[in-house]
Amino acid sequence: MSCRGEFKTPGGKLIAVDFDVVDGELRNVVVTGDFFLYPEEALPILTGALEDSPITLDEAGYTARVRTALDSSAELVGSSPEALASAVIRALGACQEPEQSDGG
Amino acid sequence: MVAEISSLAPEELARWRALPWKLLPAVPRPPLLNMALDEVLVEHVGAGKRQPTLRIWGWSAPCVVLGRFQSVRNEVDEEGAARHGIEIVRRISGGGAMFIEPQGAITWSLYAPLSMVTGMTFAESYRFFDAWVVDALRELGIDAWYAPLNDITSAAGKIGGAAQARRGGAVLHHTTMAYDMNLPLMLEVLRTGQEKLSDKGVTSADKRVAPLRLQTNLPREAIIDHMVQQFRGRFGLEEDALDPDEIAEAEQRARERFAIAAWTHYLP
Repeated sequence: MSCRGEFKTPGGKLIAVDFDVVDGELRNVVVTGDFFLYPEEALPILTGALEDSPITLDEAGYTARVRTALDSSAELVGSSPEALASAVIRALGACQEPEQSDGG
Repeated sequence: MVAEISSLAPEELARWRALPWKLLPAVPRPPLLNMALDEVLVEHVGAGKRQPTLRIWGWSAPCVVLGRFQSVRNEVDEEGAARHGIEIVRRISGGGAMFIEPQGAITWSLYAPLSMVTGMTFAESYRFFDAWVVDALRELGIDAWYAPLNDITSAAGKIGGAAQARRGGAVLHHTTMAYDMNLPLMLEVLRTGQEKLSDKGVTSADKRVAPLRLQTNLPREAIIDHMVQQFRGRFGLEEDALDPDEIAEAEQRARERFAIAAWTHYLP
């Protein structure tokens, strides 16, 4: 299953998340958008916070993972851990079989 | 004319005036070199090798400039861009995609020590770095204002947007304003207004843009001249040029870092 969700913070920026669902977990997480992240090199921290997360978490659960990972070392500007968590929840509600799926 | 210019508090004005600003006037340069120069110059200011600098950009070719964290296919129609010979480059700062034509955009960068924004939030620093331009536009009779987080806007629509990156002790703040816009061409290149790959797709370029040319009769160069004059009058500004080492370093970095797919397409 391939999933994509987006969340635009009101008065702020768009954050989008793409991932696959494998064995009930988020895999191959990619985070994109026109948000700001300082330092920029912290992008793998954002994706790493979600990678291998169970699909059963709620929004607060994903928010906590992202917030804990960013800690004090990186800051989202124009977006937030809550916004990213919202994008994940939206993505989980919009998963599709990949076009080249063999049906398995 | 707008009579009163009051967008910087006295304490903020003092921060600007405390620094010995250099001006790098517009020289048309290839998009990749413009990307690389931003990184090299902010590093040099951070390392104390260059004084705080205002660089006015010149463009020698049209391009799409992607924000640091944007997906190429979500923002750009690569076939449309290729059809029109429009290069796709990625800058070091976050924010949204811009479609650039050399005479259609007014772009500048500020490279300043981080100490200039001590105690400010990111949002405050965006306003702080764009305030002088808002004032310059208002002096030209354009009813512009700053709109958080990072826009310069007007009643007619968005004029421009800013982005920042920070590198060891220095901050890069760069802003692009639309002077003129070839909307049909832009729609062939940016995915704004096109059917998106994602059905819920929204791009940052979706906001209605109101180019300066629709709001003033002044030529592009006259607006830039006025901005520079405004900066010089309020903060002090001494004309400078890139030194050969800076150009050589930026050219090398343009080739070895900014031109390669691992940078431009790292988020495909």
